Amino acid sequence: MSDTELGSHEWWEQYKETVNTDKEMKVRGHDRFNTNFFVEIDDDRFLIEMHGGEVETIVPNPGVNQEWSFGVRGSKQAWEEFVQELPPAHNNEIIASNYRTAVRGEDGHLELQGNNKRIFQNLRPFQRALDLMRVAHNT
Amino acid sequence: MTIEPPAHGEKESITGHYVGVEIEGVKHRVYYEEAGPEDGIPLLCQHTAGNHGHEWRHLLADEEITEHFRVIAYDLPHHGKSVPPTTEEWWTEDYTLTETTFAESIVSIADALELEDPVYMGSSIGGNIILQLGDWHPDRFRALIGLECGTHSPGYYLDWFHHPQVNIAEVSAYACWGLMAPHGPEAARRETMHLYEQGSTGLFRGDLYYYSVDHDYRNKLDQVDPECPVYVMNGEYDFATDPDDARAVAEGVGEMASAIEMTNIGHFPMSENPELFNAYIKVVLDEIRGEDVTIPERLTPEKVGVSVPEATTE
Repeated sequence: MSDTELGSHEWWEQYKETVNTDKEMKVRGHDRFNTNFFVEIDDDRFLIEMHGGEVETIVPNPGVNQEWSFGVRGSKQAWEEFVQELPPAHNNEIIASNYRTAVRGEDGHLELQGNNKRIFQNLRPFQRALDLMRVAHNT
Repeated sequence: MTIEPPAHGEKESITGHYVGVEIEGVKHRVYYEEAGPEDGIPLLCQHTAGNHGHEWRHLLADEEITEHFRVIAYDLPHHGKSVPPTTEEWWTEDYTLTETTFAESIVSIADALELEDPVYMGSSIGGNIILQLGDWHPDRFRALIGLECGTHSPGYYLDWFHHPQVNIAEVSAYACWGLMAPHGPEAARRETMHLYEQGSTGLFRGDLYYYSVDHDYRNKLDQVDPECPVYVMNGEYDFATDPDDARAVAEGVGEMASAIEMTNIGHFPMSENPELFNAYIKVVLDEIRGEDVTIPERLTPEKVGVSVPEATTE
């Protein structure tokens, strides 16, 4: 998977399989993780539709007909750091990375977007879903 | 040392006790665990926000440390086995930890245990409070060790941590997941989260009032003038109070303080990676007990002979 470009169709296919076979997602989201969130890598946005704790579909470049609960945006470099097997400090996890953006005002990190209440209501499965980008990338 | 449980039937030497402590005129029943000789140098250990003294279990179990130190890890009132005071209607108001109550709690516990020249060590809220202790009680301690300490640590006093439609236990824990370095054993990092999930509703947020609101030494570090050495030790992966923040604290406190960067570790060093942290802290503890040691400004696993995982892919 390390040879596959982050954000490519093949990459997202591998990601979907990784999430949908992850034992911890079953424990943390059970079958109640029903929401959607976007991942924005540079200018490319992907909408991840979760249903029953699994990735149902991944929609590239969602348009005005779509709606979403929350998401994460960041530069490709920040995401490439995030998915490293041993990610560097402060891009190692979403709350960490967002803190350096939102509280410290630093560049080069990820940023949470959207409905904060929904984020905290779904934090654990959402965080696991993002951490699984690292698992998929290094499988 | 090992994070493995003892062999079947083998007892650890850690003992637990309850002691009466009067804090700001209110009587409390405080739980603490200790290990080490009665005449050892007292080493008083403060847990992080919303957690309890069990975070220190690997320090309590390290015989190279308890050979010289009487390690004492307590649960602050409302935390762990230190239940809320029976004389107060604590359920009618939000639990809120102020800098005054926090500092007085620590000194009162040291007084109740009749500790003579104790070393104080704490992490996160427990790291920040070395500034109030050094400011208000400059002659009470033999040394102050602030782990994950900053002059100011904003951004964590969030209403979601007591929202009725949010899973408080899980969110209080996993909002801290990324504060740990990926190098620690996963079992130790998951245990840290497990401990976090045990806090009562509002406890984490109430402690964070101190952490992110009441604690602010940005313009008054010159007031911190203790008569003892101060060690400010922050982990590389601590995104809230990083090693640069430790250096700023030490510079502001002055000649009694030194900053020490801890690489490959984060905000919960004692529980997220006990083997690495114990190796790091022994260097400092050696100096406190009078050994002639040189403490590096930047501690690395190589310098203390501990191996950490390396990436297997590019």
